[in-house]
Amino acid sequence: MNITLKVWRQKNASQPGALVEYTVKGIVPEMSFLEMLDTLNEQLIARGEDPLAFDSDCREGICGMCDLVIDGRAHGPDKGATTCQLHMRRYKDGDVVTVEPFRSKAFPIVKDLVVDRSSFDRIQAAGGFVSTNTGGAGEANAILIPHDKAEKAMDAASCIGCGACVAACPNASAMLFVAAKVSQYALLPQGMPEREKRVLAMRAAMDAEGFGHCTNEYECEAACPKDIKISNIARLNREFFRATLISE
Amino acid sequence: MEATPDCASKPCRIFEFLESSIGKKIMVAAAGVLLCGFLVAHLLGNLLMFVGGETFNRYAEALVSNPLLPLAEAGLVGLFLIHIVLSVRATLANRAARPEGYQVYTGKGARTPGSRTMALTGTLILVFVIIHVATLKYQLGGPKGVDLFAHVLGWFANPWYSIFYVLAVGGVGLHLSHGVQSAIQTFGFNHPRYTPLIRKAGLAFAFLIFAGFASLPVYFGFIHEPALACCPTEGGSK
Ligand code: HEM
Ligand code: FES
Repeated sequence: MNITLKVWRQKNASQPGALVEYTVKGIVPEMSFLEMLDTLNEQLIARGEDPLAFDSDCREGICGMCDLVIDGRAHGPDKGATTCQLHMRRYKDGDVVTVEPFRSKAFPIVKDLVVDRSSFDRIQAAGGFVSTNTGGAGEANAILIPHDKAEKAMDAASCIGCGACVAACPNASAMLFVAAKVSQYALLPQGMPEREKRVLAMRAAMDAEGFGHCTNEYECEAACPKDIKISNIARLNREFFRATLISE
Repeated sequence: MEATPDCASKPCRIFEFLESSIGKKIMVAAAGVLLCGFLVAHLLGNLLMFVGGETFNRYAEALVSNPLLPLAEAGLVGLFLIHIVLSVRATLANRAARPEGYQVYTGKGARTPGSRTMALTGTLILVFVIIHVATLKYQLGGPKGVDLFAHVLGWFANPWYSIFYVLAVGGVGLHLSHGVQSAIQTFGFNHPRYTPLIRKAGLAFAFLIFAGFASLPVYFGFIHEPALACCPTEGGSK
């Protein structure tokens, strides 16, 4: 089948970009969306044009690199899936598909569809860890963790940091990402010693990067490829309020 | 890990809270919920118009002669200011967080008519409140030298005034259709069993506020016979 793509092309951060139209020929339904873009690039290279820049790595939904907004939806039309898990059987011959980069002041465009998400790394580095001396692995049952807490912590920890929450949020807010990272430690005993410091530092880092405020539109939850719940944002708010009151 | 090393003291921490994205939202939500409390009290008072002109006038008289009223009014103005200043600052920061928008922005269906229009309905409410206080409290325009009940009826007799009133309280209802559950989420309350109920209760509350306030101009402006309206009373509020 043939697909008409309207793709955002932009040479670099300082030059303005625009949607450019391409017709991609010879697509089969078994192809992934990214393989369709690979096909476009082969065609562009054969014509001697500059290939389209887009990110991907694992292509199996675990690394969070394949950040595209497809027809106005972060990671495309499917629920609980990354762009690399989207397949062309979703489309039919002659469809027109718009592809844009994730848009946020805190995710500057590098080229075409590639954005710089190092703001997430800086938030994570501000507090998204536990400080512990690693020695031999401890006895696994020495620290008791209630089953429901362990489940919630695991759910939060499944965040792959792709940034779809920011891309989908009408306010470009990073609250779902930060909430997941704060929650995965706030729920576990290992996270307790640095509980207050962590949330204060990660909140400060988040705001310093220029992300927007959460206005509870819940588009982040709907777009998250890992189905991170907004109950984590409620927990982040509680943790931040509590830390403000009790930390020295 | 060094937690915000420049902010070790308590007052500084509180200032940091108020300036933070999360703290601002909690303050907007707190002021919003307190304003909801005011709306309920105000609506119950207004509904006395259905009981009769005399009862309504006596209620209004008792209200304005209460020495604590200026204090309550100052508190109300304070709530409005906190709510407006912080929500406008948050809205501007949100616009700045995405300097270049999408060509196509569809989303995945989580937004509601209420959530999309918070800034718009908020502005409508503000304009309405100014007109409302000017015409009904300070009685600029409208019939002169009559008691409060007759004065309100005089305004409701103007169909444009009544239609604007209904539209504006519709804006309040839309604002609250998102606002109530949003505030509770902002306070950090989210529970698999109760959150769906809270969302329904928020919608019901928003609708009741709309229907309650709208019933007054609808009834007294369009249904009620003006001939029966007038009931010369002793002790109007003016
Ligand atoms: C009777 C008056 C009002 C009531 C009861 C009310 C109530 C609320 C509530 C409960 C919220 C939700 C807070 C949250 O999401 O955490 C809210 C949000 C908001 N209000 Fe109001 N409000 C009123 C008047 C106004 C006015 C006069 C304005 C602006 C001029 C305004 C602008 C906003 C905005 C922009 C938001 C969204 C803020 C955000 O989502 O970050 N409101 N309001
Ligand atoms: S490329 Fe790794 S998640 Fe899509």
